[in-house]
Amino acid sequence: MGLLRYTIGRLIQAIPVLIGITVITFILANLAPGDPVRLMLQGQEVDQELIERVEQQYGLDRPIHERYATYMINLLQGDLGYSIHRDRPVTDLVIQRSGPTLMLVLSAYAFALATAIPLGILAATRRNEPTDHISRIVALIGVSTPSFWIGIMLILVFAIQLGVLPSSGLVYPWWGPDHYGYSGYPELIYQTIRHLLLPMIALGTLQMATLMRVERTQMIESLQGEYVKLARAYGVPERTILRKHAFQVAQLPIITIVGLNLSTALGGAVLIEYVFNINGLGRLLLEAIIGLDYQLIMGITVVIGTMFVVGVIITDISYAYVDPRVTYGDRD
Amino acid sequence: MAEPLLRVENLKTQFFTDAGTVRAVDGISFEVHEGEIVGLVGESGAGKSVASMSLLRLVESPGEIVGGEITYKGETIFGLEEGPDGDLREREDMLSNVEMRDRIRGNEIAVIFQDPMESLNPVFTVGGQLREFIELNRGLGKDEARQEAIQMLREVGIPDPAERYHEYPHQFSGGMRQRVLIAMALACEPNLIIADEPTTALDVTVEGQILELVDDLQEKYDTSFIWVTHDMGVVAEICDRVNVMYLGEIIEQAPVDELFHATKHPYTTALLNSMPRPDRTVEELEPIEGVMPEAITPPSGCRFHPRCPDAREVCKRVHPDNEVIEHAAGYPHRAACVKHDVFDVGYDESVPLEKEPQVTAGTPGGGEEQ
Repeated sequence: MGLLRYTIGRLIQAIPVLIGITVITFILANLAPGDPVRLMLQGQEVDQELIERVEQQYGLDRPIHERYATYMINLLQGDLGYSIHRDRPVTDLVIQRSGPTLMLVLSAYAFALATAIPLGILAATRRNEPTDHISRIVALIGVSTPSFWIGIMLILVFAIQLGVLPSSGLVYPWWGPDHYGYSGYPELIYQTIRHLLLPMIALGTLQMATLMRVERTQMIESLQGEYVKLARAYGVPERTILRKHAFQVAQLPIITIVGLNLSTALGGAVLIEYVFNINGLGRLLLEAIIGLDYQLIMGITVVIGTMFVVGVIITDISYAYVDPRVTYGDRD
Repeated sequence: MAEPLLRVENLKTQFFTDAGTVRAVDGISFEVHEGEIVGLVGESGAGKSVASMSLLRLVESPGEIVGGEITYKGETIFGLEEGPDGDLREREDMLSNVEMRDRIRGNEIAVIFQDPMESLNPVFTVGGQLREFIELNRGLGKDEARQEAIQMLREVGIPDPAERYHEYPHQFSGGMRQRVLIAMALACEPNLIIADEPTTALDVTVEGQILELVDDLQEKYDTSFIWVTHDMGVVAEICDRVNVMYLGEIIEQAPVDELFHATKHPYTTALLNSMPRPDRTVEELEPIEGVMPEAITPPSGCRFHPRCPDAREVCKRVHPDNEVIEHAAGYPHRAACVKHDVFDVGYDESVPLEKEPQVTAGTPGGGEEQ
C-alpha cells in the first residue's frame, strides 16, 4: 500500500518537471537563429505578403505564450507537431524511432549490470590483489574512452577484420521473421542478438566501468559493516554473507547511479546510432538538428526528457522497494 | 572447583601495521565458569574488544592471535605447539575454521555487539534476521524458527512481537534494537554470551532496563556472560567476577565485591575514583591523569607507571605479572602491582618517581587517597 502511494506521489511530482522540460525546449527553439518560413523556402525569393500569410497559417505571428499554450494543448492530445521537412507528424516519427533506441539503451544497461556486478564483487573480495588492479585499469579505460571510438574499433575488428558480426543496422524482433525473410523465431532472435551485440557493448562500456567501480567500493564498505561482523559471529558461511548480507546493502547506490546515468546513456545513444547506422531517436535528432527541423527537435527533446524522467521515477521506486528505510510517506 | 566453561591462558593478539606491531592483547589469562557473568573492564584501547573477538577467532586482518591457549568445554579453540622444525604451529586438536563456524559461533558462544544501530542489517526485517540465526544455529525448520523468533522477541520485552517481527531495524528504537540483539544471542541457546559494551550506545534509563533484562534472563537460562565494558557502574550492577585490563594486560582480577572494597591495583583505584559512587560522597571526581599510551610502544616495567600516583623507581624496571595477592570467596584475587609483598622487588625502598610533565586529560582534583 505504501509503495503504491509513494509511486503516485512520485508521478505527481514529475508533472512540474515535465512542464519545465516543455517550457525550456520551447523557449530554446524560439531563441534559435533562423526563420522557419524562410527555411521552408530554402532560399527562394518570394514576396513579403506570402511570408506573412504562411506565418499566419502556422500561427507564427502570435506572441510566444499563446503559441506555447497551443503547443501544450496539442501535446496533451499526443500531437508533437509537424515535421515540415519530412512532411509527417512528429508523433509518428518519434514512435517509430523510439523502439530501436529503447532496445539499444536497455540492452546496454543489461550488459553493463551483468558484467559490472560480478566483476565489482570480485574486485572487492580480492582487494589490492592483481584481479583488483586489472579491474581498476579496465574501468579507467572504459570511463575515459569515448563510446563512438569504441564503436568504430569494434566495427573494425569484429565486422571488417574478422567479419563475424554485422557492422550496421538492427533487427527488430517485433517485425516478425517474415519481414526479414528468416526461417522462424529462433533465427530472428539469433539475428537480433548478432546485430545488437556491438552497439550494445559500445554504449554499455562506460556504464559498466562506472558501475563496476561503484559496486567494488560499495561491497568493500558493506563487507566492513557491523552487520557482517554479526553474521560472522553467528556462524553464517562467508558465501551467504557475500551473496545476501553484504550484497543487498551494496546494491542501493547502484540503483541510483543507473537512474542518473540514464541521461549519459541516452546521449551516448545518439552517437552510437550514428556509428552503427541505427534508425533510432538519436539519429533522428541529429538529422533534425542539421536540417533545423524545429518541430522535430522539440518533439524528440520532449520525448527523451520524458524517458529520462520516467527512468528516474522507476529507479526511485525500485530504491524504495529495495531499501525499507526510504519511507513511503507513511509508516504503516 | 569444576572445570571452567572457558579458559584463556596467556592469550596474545597482535596487529601487524605499517607503523609496527600493536600488541593489542598481550598475554591475558582468565576463566569463565558456568552461570557466571565475568567483566572485562578498561579504558578505550585497552584491548577488551580484541580479546573478546579472539575468543571466537574473529580477529580481523592485519590482526592475528599469535600465542596462548583458549579452551572451551575441553575443546581447543586456539592452541600452538612446537613443530619438528622448532617453529610454532597450530595444534592438531585445534578446531578447524569450519568447526568454529558451524559448531562454536552462535551455537556455543554468541555475541552482543556495542552498536545496536549498525549491527542489524538495514535491508532485512528484524524477524528475518533473527530467524536466519536460529535456523542456522539450532537446525530448526523455517516455521519453527519463526515461532521461536517471535517467542524470543516477546521474552526480551518487545511488544506485539508477531507484528514487529516483520518490521525493519530503522523502525525500532536503539533500546529495542539492543533487545533484538539480546534475543538473537539467547535464541541460539549458547552456553556463553560475549557482550561487547552492549549498553554503551544507550541512554542511562534504557541501559538500566537492559541490565535488568539481562540479569533476569541470565538467571532463567543460566547462560554465562563475558561482559565487556568501561563502566564500573555496570560492573557493580551485574558482574560476578571482574578482570581489569590496561594496555593489553589484565592487571587485576577479583570477585566484584573484593575489587570494589579491597582494591589491589592503583589503576583500578583510579578507575573507581573517576566515577561517581552511591556508597561514597566526594567533593570532586578524580580523572586518571594522562591518556593511555599506544600499545605499539608500551612503557617499560609496569605499563601504568607513567600515570600511576604510587609509582616508584622500581616500577620503571620491573614488569609485574598478575599474581595472586589473596583468596576471597573461593577465588583468587590477583593484581599486577609490585607494591604488594608477594613481588618482593624492593618497592618499599625504591624512590618515588618524580612526575614527568605530560599531556593530561584533566587535572588531579581534591579527594583523598584511599
